[in-house]
Amino acid sequence: MSFFSEERASELKDLFFESATELLQALNEEGLDLEKHPGDPEVVRQVRRTVHTLKGDSAACGYTELSALAHELEDALTPELAKQHGVKVAEVVLSAADTFQNMLNAYRANTPAPTGDRVFAAIHALIRKPALVPSPNAVSGIVTESAPAKPRFEWSEYEKMVMTDAVSRGLKVLQLALTIDPNCVVRVVALQMIKTAFSDLGTVLVVVPEEGSPLDKVEVITAALASSFDEEYIARKCKIPAVISEVFVERYTAPAAEAASTNGAGGAQHAEEDALNLAPEQNVPHQEPISEADSFSTSSLSTAPESTLRVDAERIDAVLNLVGELIIGKSMLTQTINEFDKKFAKDPLRAKFADALAYQARVLTDLQKSVMKVRMVPVEQLFRRFPRVVRDVSKACGKEVHLEVHGQATDLDKSILDVLAEPMAHLVRNAIGHGIESPEERLAAGKLKIGTIKLDAYHQGNNIVIEVSDDGRGIDRQKVLAKAIERGIVTQEETARMTDGEALNLIFHPGLSTAEEITSVSGRGVGMDIVKSVLERLKGSVVIDSKVGQGSTFYLKVPLTLAIIKALMFRVVDRMYAVPLGSVMEITRAMETEIHRVDQHEVIKLRDQVLTLVRLNRLANSTSKQKKIFIVVIAVNDRKFGLVVDKLIGEEELVIKALDDHLVATELVSGASILGDGTVVLILNVNSVVARLGRSNISDDLRAGASA
Amino acid sequence: MEQFAVLIRSKDRQPIRYLVVDDSVFARKNVTKMIEAFGGKVAGEAGDGLTAITEYDRAQPDIVLMDITMPQMEGIEAAERIIRQHSDARVIMVSSVGYQENIVAALQKGAKHFVQKPVKAEVLYEVIKYVMGEDAVAVEGAAAGDSK
Repeated sequence: MSFFSEERASELKDLFFESATELLQALNEEGLDLEKHPGDPEVVRQVRRTVHTLKGDSAACGYTELSALAHELEDALTPELAKQHGVKVAEVVLSAADTFQNMLNAYRANTPAPTGDRVFAAIHALIRKPALVPSPNAVSGIVTESAPAKPRFEWSEYEKMVMTDAVSRGLKVLQLALTIDPNCVVRVVALQMIKTAFSDLGTVLVVVPEEGSPLDKVEVITAALASSFDEEYIARKCKIPAVISEVFVERYTAPAAEAASTNGAGGAQHAEEDALNLAPEQNVPHQEPISEADSFSTSSLSTAPESTLRVDAERIDAVLNLVGELIIGKSMLTQTINEFDKKFAKDPLRAKFADALAYQARVLTDLQKSVMKVRMVPVEQLFRRFPRVVRDVSKACGKEVHLEVHGQATDLDKSILDVLAEPMAHLVRNAIGHGIESPEERLAAGKLKIGTIKLDAYHQGNNIVIEVSDDGRGIDRQKVLAKAIERGIVTQEETARMTDGEALNLIFHPGLSTAEEITSVSGRGVGMDIVKSVLERLKGSVVIDSKVGQGSTFYLKVPLTLAIIKALMFRVVDRMYAVPLGSVMEITRAMETEIHRVDQHEVIKLRDQVLTLVRLNRLANSTSKQKKIFIVVIAVNDRKFGLVVDKLIGEEELVIKALDDHLVATELVSGASILGDGTVVLILNVNSVVARLGRSNISDDLRAGASA
Repeated sequence: MEQFAVLIRSKDRQPIRYLVVDDSVFARKNVTKMIEAFGGKVAGEAGDGLTAITEYDRAQPDIVLMDITMPQMEGIEAAERIIRQHSDARVIMVSSVGYQENIVAALQKGAKHFVQKPVKAEVLYEVIKYVMGEDAVAVEGAAAGDSK
């Protein structure tokens, strides 16, 4: 890559990493495919193609370890080999994919790449028995470059005769010595190129070495041509770049004595025959059949012109950010027009304003939707990595698991999708490790021998729900509780009062794993808490539904997008807050006198349910004792809480502006937004607010956040 | 950093037009940058053999750089079809080591030359110069290459 400037090189490398990641994904899929259909020549070809492209790209970037391994793999992968070894080939392909991934990671981090020794060994083990691969690329020995200043032509008697004869017929005969470029590894090609070049120049009398003879050790090709072109032109035409490094051309002058002694007619005939024979000879097939190339092309022939655009995610973020600003602008306008309305209630301009505003609002909504759409990618991108995970984990656990996938077409914001990959992998690993029973257990329980893991994705209001479910043994409430007590996470008394949901939620507690023994794939006790924290960071939630003996389902609920939310705004004391509309169940009013105190919690009876209240104004020294209060009922996971607020403002689309971590030291606020009139609204993180329920410092933290 | 004298067509002193065919976006971009460094112009790109054929008809390039291994239609078949329709087409095969038989087949079917991946700019330059022959001239002194 020395040819490119640093900047260009790094740009290319970025592109390389991007496309390599896609190639690896494809390779994984193809590997699994190969496992399912061992020896299917079409699949083998696909794998080969993918590896081939990977090889080419990595070599161009100078990543030699990767390209060497890819080369080896590509070379070894033949339909015959796949037929012979069946599933073993898929195994090698998949482990190679892993090694490629490791290498990529290392390249990206600028650390030395791991060696692919293990994979090399595996490949060699496969190809050793049948000596299929001639490995023609290993340039044997060192090809000396120093060509003799004036090569000696050592023609055989017959060749001399042919040449002398041509001279005697008045033709200009030239003898050539062409030194093959030491970098040209494909000698067969070199010979072909030379012959093509010769055919444009004149009649070929002699070529040494002859067609079909081994070329590996040939350094110089000698030839005799009958040509009307001058030496200089021929030399130029024969100096084929990348093939021939040196050319020596000399006019052949037959020794007079010999010329006289030859019997003219016979020689001429020979020469002609020779010239004629050469052409068909070129078509003599080479050692390996070329038919492979033909069979490639007979596959599907549907053409798909490329209309996809690759855009840096940052650029889209920038556009979305601008759309956000526009939305703020829109609410500014609305507000101004509202004021105008009040002031000039009879002005005919009002209607015009209203029309213009409605039109602008509609276009803006469309714009926002289209930009969001750009960021959306089908969940399939996330799901497609799971066949591999399921395969690996179920193999490691000795279980038989079938993966079922639904709702791949559901769109989700790319940034959310990327973050979800890890927690989902945790859940799937756990489901196989803990959930699905061993085949014997399953048969004993009267279930199908093969367990099922199901992935599903669908819309639910402003959210996307991703389900990870298994038909395994389910989560045993008693086991979870026992473990939690043993670890000192909860006390005996507390467990007695816990609902099933709360008990199950304990598995998200750091350091709790119900696995009897710890395996390599699951049961380390970390992971479930990570799942929960990731979901909370995404302003989503995770809910468990489990029936002993029938399996468990995890519902991961995430917002459609992180950039804009529909929110309910309200006022507490003199500050504006907002909560995502999705978490609001209902709004109700109550009298102060209806509030009861239970266990230091304020509760209220809403219809037949007891609702715990959260007062945001606690410790805010608000002495204003309103008789009637507003209660915003919010749902967190599967529990409900009531937020006591002073005044409801209304619902609005808020553009979330991330708050710098340094400015806001509280997790209670997940972001802020600016309203049309310039007011700042804090968007509450309902999960944390409720988690702090009962503690007295909520308002302290909020005030810290607000003053920032 | 190497500098290349700009290669232009001798007939009208316009930039040489290229069709770059490769299923790897990366490889296409890589080659494109080299071509631009030679003062050439990418008249078309294709990610598979079939598109390459229609692109050739549309763009009428001076040179086709054709990868061998591609989905839909292999480079060799595409090269063959293009050459059959346009006998004057200059097709240069681009491929990795280990495909010598394929290259020979392509050359027999009329491809003019080949370069190996990873493509080196110096080699590609020489190959293009060779393949264009009298139809291209190098303009010395013109600022070429992207290097400073």
